[in-house]
Parts: sequence; structure tokens; C-alpha cells
Amino acid sequence: MTSQKSMKDLLAGLIFIGFGLAFGYASLTYEIGTALRMGPGYFPLILSGVILLLGVVIFVQSLAAGPDEIPLGRVPWFGLILLTGGLIFFGVTVRGLGLAPSLFVATFMSAFASERTSVVGAFLLATALTAICILIFIWALGLSLAVTGPWLRF
Amino acid sequence: MDLLANLGLGFDTALTLNNILYCFVGVLLGTLVGVLPGIGPTGTVAILLPITFTFEPVTALIMLAGIYYGAQYGGSTTAILINLPGESSSAVTAIDGYEMAKQGRAGPALATAALGSFFAGSVATLLLAVAAPPLVNIALKFGSAEYFSLIVLGLIASVALAHGSIIKALAMIVLGLLLGMVGQDLYSGQPRFTFGFFELYNGINFVSVAVGVFGVAEILRNLESESTRTVLVSKVENLWLTKEDFRRIVSPILRGTGLGSILGVLPGGGHVLAAFASYSLEKKLSRNEAEFGKGAIEGVAGPESANNAAAQTSFIPLLTLGIPAHPVMALMIGAFIIHGITPGPNVLTDEPALFWGLIASMWIGNFLLVVLNLPLIGIWVKMLTIPYRMLFPAIVAFACIGTYSIGLNAFDIYAIVVLAIIGYVLIKLDCEPAPLLLGFVLGPLLEEHLRRAMIISRGDPMTFIERPISAGLLAVAALAIVLSLLPSIRKKREEVFVEED
Amino acid sequence: MKKLVAALAAAAALYSFSASAQDYPTQPITIVVPFSAGGPTDTVTRLIAEPMGKALGQSIVIQNVTGAGGTVAAGQVAKAEADGYTVLMHHIGMSTAPTLYKNLPYNPLEDFATVGLVTEVPMTIIGRKDFEPNTLQELVDYAKANKEKVTYANAGIGAASHLCGMLFMEAIDTQLTTVPYQGTGPALTDLVGGQVDFMCDQTTNTTGQIKGGQVKAYAVTTGERLASLPDLPTTTEAGLDMQVSVWHGLYVPAGTPDDVVQKLTAALQTALKDQNVIDRFAELGTTPVAQERATPEAHTETLSSQTELWKPIIEAAGVSAN
Repeated sequence: MTSQKSMKDLLAGLIFIGFGLAFGYASLTYEIGTALRMGPGYFPLILSGVILLLGVVIFVQSLAAGPDEIPLGRVPWFGLILLTGGLIFFGVTVRGLGLAPSLFVATFMSAFASERTSVVGAFLLATALTAICILIFIWALGLSLAVTGPWLRF
Repeated sequence: MDLLANLGLGFDTALTLNNILYCFVGVLLGTLVGVLPGIGPTGTVAILLPITFTFEPVTALIMLAGIYYGAQYGGSTTAILINLPGESSSAVTAIDGYEMAKQGRAGPALATAALGSFFAGSVATLLLAVAAPPLVNIALKFGSAEYFSLIVLGLIASVALAHGSIIKALAMIVLGLLLGMVGQDLYSGQPRFTFGFFELYNGINFVSVAVGVFGVAEILRNLESESTRTVLVSKVENLWLTKEDFRRIVSPILRGTGLGSILGVLPGGGHVLAAFASYSLEKKLSRNEAEFGKGAIEGVAGPESANNAAAQTSFIPLLTLGIPAHPVMALMIGAFIIHGITPGPNVLTDEPALFWGLIASMWIGNFLLVVLNLPLIGIWVKMLTIPYRMLFPAIVAFACIGTYSIGLNAFDIYAIVVLAIIGYVLIKLDCEPAPLLLGFVLGPLLEEHLRRAMIISRGDPMTFIERPISAGLLAVAALAIVLSLLPSIRKKREEVFVEED
Repeated sequence: MKKLVAALAAAAALYSFSASAQDYPTQPITIVVPFSAGGPTDTVTRLIAEPMGKALGQSIVIQNVTGAGGTVAAGQVAKAEADGYTVLMHHIGMSTAPTLYKNLPYNPLEDFATVGLVTEVPMTIIGRKDFEPNTLQELVDYAKANKEKVTYANAGIGAASHLCGMLFMEAIDTQLTTVPYQGTGPALTDLVGGQVDFMCDQTTNTTGQIKGGQVKAYAVTTGERLASLPDLPTTTEAGLDMQVSVWHGLYVPAGTPDDVVQKLTAALQTALKDQNVIDRFAELGTTPVAQERATPEAHTETLSSQTELWKPIIEAAGVSAN
């Protein structure tokens, strides 16, 4: 960052402003009511106003502040996508595929999110973790989750 | 002395070999399940509840209580080791506990948590035995107006949670408050911010928020610097507390115990505030305020004691009135009913052996907990030396199942993803996650009590000032604001004087 | 490793081998409870699950699927396979959901087959200890005189206490101030603490407080007095025409083979005769339904008549969840 302002504060301010606008917009669609008889929209609307205001203050201050001491740094895109992708996969398939296959794929994806883990390593880790989880949650704790789900029945 | 006779009866019941054994099994199981990421005390008790159905009522309740504080301690362990709190109260422990772990001081942090919990648990249990009825009468004076004022005070004090920019911390609290609004409005039934999904009607699960903004966001942070670091903690210093550590934790434990014991009695959200309040208090009173947030041992000692004291005294409304103060207590009510005991004020007179046996077993349980956990510290700390690339997929796997098993709701998993991304981005921009979590927990309570107080007073806002306890709490809140502004005024004055010199 | 994978695959194949309805049940049956573990509905389910499983010769697994007043669980079961291995336990909320939730993703009467009723839990009208009225008649007069100055606590939208309150206000034709709470616990706390005037909730939740003298009891909302509270008059005895109970029933997805439903009904009837179930139900302040009520016909009848009953009441009260 070559500019003489705090990028972190600038972005944080913008994000809070964004949240304020989004929540505020949604709150307006609910009944607002009055201070004495509050509707479902009243409280969120006030909060949206507050966060919007705070966002603006952070944004304005960022223009005056010096550059960040520690730069923003890189984002581990590869890891981010695999990790969140694994979680979403688990959520979508755990009912249908059942715990074992769903968890296996999810842990494989998150294990592979590490740059230092190879495909084989991720495979081994995912297998071991799936086995351990089934042992703990299904066998030992008796959770009522299906190990394999209806999508795998013929 | 009635009390001595009663306690005698209690220990008679609790000290049978059978009951000690099940108390120990409960504490052990609670610790082991509670330590799994993504499973907090509520989850642990819900999972293990059916196991107790087959036992005698006294044994079952003793075991269940053991499971509860075992899980509470297990949750703190996860908060310290991998920055993943299982319940709102241990979110505070994570702030300094995890920093200590990263500096190789996980051992002392865990030992502090164990010792603080034991001391607080013992004192609070005694309080429960001696003063349950008068305490519950005070608690009953708390209506919605009082709770609203208490939460306002809590929110103002909690700004101390931040160790960086205060204005960013405020913004994070408000964001947390807003996230807490997601779900069906209690008063009108209007679903808010649910995008039409029924699965979101009950709001976002606390565990999803904790796993997202603490656990997964932290994993993403660590993935940034993977090439330079392979294990989370490279050096592990001593496992035990130094003399200096001991000196530093004594007063925080005492204060935390007092604060937690009092707040825990309040069924409408008091226990939630205990750990946060204790942290704020310690930070304000500490001479090394700057160290908070960077691994101050006081920041573990105070909240952990407060947390555990509150956990014990939150049994007071349950045992004296038959009213649950929080989800775990609601599960306990279910257990009472399954065992054919009608929870209510009559438990004390109808089933004295059960009542006093349970109280005695709480003390025994806390004792067993500390005996069990001090040797375990070495093992937990060893876990930190597992290569990180193997540790984090395990965290993800456990967090997935743990979160999902609570309500079998896939949205709890999707919420983790959304919150992890929000949390990761904001943490990268130097916004801290603990205030967000506090706002998230207190947001719904704040709105609920405010609106209820207004309904009951039929739209008269003077109710907050006319009710003496409420007015007192608001006065303290106002004082807190003035006090927090004073140092900056004083500082400016000092600066002026410096220039004059 | 290959062996393990092969073994897993084999196990999966075995597990997923589905059998015809004649052999039903060949694998564990899941009963979905729409509320969290430890609550009244969960307790009732766990009590009948064991003897039912014994009668069917299979174990029964209980799953607590929570959310949106029980509609998340019902929605899941509605979409589940109609093979009799997924059973739903639900209460009175099944009949009020279509009116309370306008975009309900299922139709209780069409998307489910009924197995039978389980129990009808009576409700009690209770007031704070120092509340002026001493009898139900006095309460009605007091409410009519003071109107919205009187506060009525309930445990949230769609809760039994919410329904009972609406019915009470309709019966006395007076609008009072409703104070919603997040569950029965906090509502009862405020009632015992004297913050609100009165409420009406299941005996499961109130018997302890009534016996302990922490609340004033006015009436029980069913036709007969309770064995556990013999001095408490019924609403009818006290001169108020209003009856309500929290009935529970078992459901399977529509399209489940008839002989499977019959087996489940038979198992339910056996379970309801179990002495342990009868004893524990009594401690909850309730009884198992009569055998002829534990049938699909009686259950369907109750469901449809209750749906009709609540629709105008809920609409008149102007509550809706979306």
C-alpha cells in the first residue's frame, strides 16, 4: 500500500457501512412501530443506524490515519475455497449420503486445503478422521445419525 | 445446626461408592465430550442425557451434574488450546487463554482454569447450601426492566474486551447484536433476516457463530502463514504455574467467584454476563492492562472462576423453584421428570436426600474434576505439538458433526461458512471477534427485555427509573461511562502539564 | 486401507438393503421429536419408545430436530421416505401450524398418515401468588373489568400456553395484554416473581409450582379433575365454557403402506397399556389415551377438527409467523 491512509480501517469502515445499509434496508420491510410500542423492525433499524454511523466514523478516520503498521497480507484463496467448500458439501449431503461418505469428502477437502498436504496424505487423513469420528459419535456416543444415507440405498 | 445435619445427609448420599463412581464417570465423560470442538456444555448434556435414564434418580442427577461441569471445563480446554469456545462464557477464556497457548503457556492457562474453577465451584456450592432461598428471592425481584438495565451495564463494561480500537469494538458489538436478531420475532412472529428459510426461524445457533468466527476464521489465519510455521506452538514452557503466576491469579479468582455467584442466580441471562463482567473488571483493575488480550493470566483466572461459580449458582432457581435458568437446566428438568420427580419448591421437603445429595455431589464433582484434569494437562498440551496440517482437518471434522448433531439442521453448518468468511475478513482488518460474540448473545436478550418491560409498563419508559434496582443499575452504567472518559481527560491534562514543564 | 474401504462398502450395501413391508421392521426405527431433549414432548416420546420397540422387535432411535415451532422437523419427515422407518411425534402444534405459518412447506392433513394419538396433557390456569382473584369466576370478572391492564404470560408464538391464552380471551370475549416469553421457564419465573398476572400451561410444567404454593391455581382445562391435583376444579365446573388439552400423536409420511401403519398402531396400543408408561404419565399429570383413540381414524379426526377449531381463533388474534 503506497497511499498514506489505513487500508484496513478504510475497508472495515466500508464493510460496516454495508452491513448497516443491508440490515437497515431489510428492517424497513418489517413493521417499525413507535418507541413505546415497538414493532419487529424497530430495534434492528436503530442498530443498523448505529453501525452505519460507526462505519462512517471508521472510514473517515482511516483517511486521516497513517498507513497500517502490518500490511494486509495475502489471502489463502485455495485453502479458503476448499475449507468452506468442504463444510458446504457436508451440510448438503449429510442427510442424503449419510455421515461416513459426507464427512470423508468434507475432511478430504479441508485436509487438502493445506499446501503441505498431498493428495495421498489428505486421503489417509480423511479416512482416519472419518473412522475416528464414527467410532466416537456413532459407536461410543450413540448419536442417531445414519452412517450411510437414503441416496445410497437401492 | 440444621445445615450440618443436612450436609451430613447429603454427603451420606453422595459418598456411597456407587454415587462417587457415577459422579466420576459423569465428570470424565463430560470432560471428554466437552473437549470436542463444536460441542459445548449444552450439546454434551443433550448427547449424554439418555445414558442417565436407566439409573436411580439420585445417581442419575449426580451423574448429570457431573457431566455438566465436566463439559464446562472441557469447553474451556478447547477455548484455550484451539481458540474454539463451546459456550458464550468460554469465549472470554479464549481471548487470553489462546494467546497464552500460542506463547507456549497452555499448561499454566489450563492449570489456572482448573484451580479457579475448583475454588469458585466450592464457594458457590457452599453458598447454594447456605443461602439458596434468600438468593432466589432477590432473583425474583428481577423483572424485564431490571434485566434490561443489567444488560446495558454489561454492554458498556464489555468495551473493555477490546484491546485495539474501541470504535471498531463497538461496531463489532452492534454487528453481533444484529446477527442475534436473525430469526422469528418473539412478539409478532415476524421472521427477520431469514430469507424465507424455516430453518433460520430459531435464529443462528451460538455454536455456529463460535465455530465460524473463532475456529474456522482462525484456521484461515493460520493457513496464511503455513509456509513459515508447521505447528501451532513451537515451544512449550513449564506446565505448572510459577510463584509469580500464583500471586497474579489469587485476587482475580476471588473477585470472579463473587461476581459469578451473584450473577448466576439470575435466571434471565445473568450467567451469560458473568465471564464477560469478570474480564472487564480484571482489565480495569489490573496494573498491566496492556497485557490483556496478549496472554494475561488474570484474563483466564477471573472469567473461568466467574463462569464456574455461575454454573453452580444457576442451580438455585432450578432447585428452589423448579425453573430452568438456561438450556442445560431445562434438560435437567427433563431428567427430573423422566425419573418421576416433579421439579419445584417441594423437592427440598419431599426428597431431602436427593436435594442435599446433589449439592454434596457438586462439591465432590468439582474436586474430582480438578483431580482428573491436572494430570490431563500434559496430554492436552502435547496435542498442540501435532503438525497443524493434521490438526485443523480434525477440528473441522469434529466441529461439523458437533454442530450438526445439536439440531440436525444443515443451516447450522452453512452459518459456520458465512460467519467464518465474515469473521476472517474482519479479523484481518483488525476487528476483534469477542465483542461480536458478546453482542450476539446479548442482542436478543436486550431487545426481548426492553420490549417486554415496555409491554408490562404499558408503554411507560419511566419504568426503568421508577424501579429501584433498575435505576441503580443504570446509575452504575452512567458512572462507568464517566469513569472511562476520565482517564483520557486526565491524560490530556497531564500532556498539557508536560508541555508546560 | 483398500480392505477398509471394501469393508465399508460392503457394510454400506448391507445396511442399505431394503426389505418389503411384510418383514417390517428390519432395521431401527427413528422417531423424530420436533423439540429439544428433556422437554415434555421428548419425555412422552422416550417413555413410549421403549415398549413400542419391544413390541416391534426393533430398537427405536429418537432424533431431536428443532426449529420454528416444530415445523422444521415436520417438514423433514414429510419429505422422508414413506417406508415406516421415519416416524414423527408431534403435538397440538400440528393443527395450528397451517394458520400460524402461511408458507408452510407441507400440509399436515395431506402429507402425513396418522398412526394414533398418544396422550392428551391437560392444562392449568394459574396466577401469581398475590393476584387478587381467588377463583376462576373472580378471575373472569377481574379480567373483564380491568381489560388490558391484566397481563397474560405465554411461552412464545404457537406454544400451548399461547393457544390456551387465545382461547381464554375468546371465551371471555375480552382482550388482555399478552406478554410472550422465550419458553415456559422464563414465563413461569416472572409469574412466580409477580411480574405478570397469570398464565395457562401444561400440568407437566406447573404441577410442582402449584403444589409448592408458589402460584395460585384456578382451574384445569379438561373435562375431569386431575388425580395429582384433586382439589382443582375443571373449567366447566367453574362455569367457563372452554376446554383445551395438548394432544400428542404419531405420524408417518403419506404413502406409507397400510400394513406398516397397522404394525405401528398396534405397537403404540401395546405401549400405552404398559404399566410403567401409565405410572410415568400419571406423574406428568396425564394418562395414555383410550385404546380406540390410539388409531389412525381417531387421530385424523382430532387433527382435522382441531385445525378447524384453531383457524378462526388464531386469525382473530391477528398472530401470524409470516
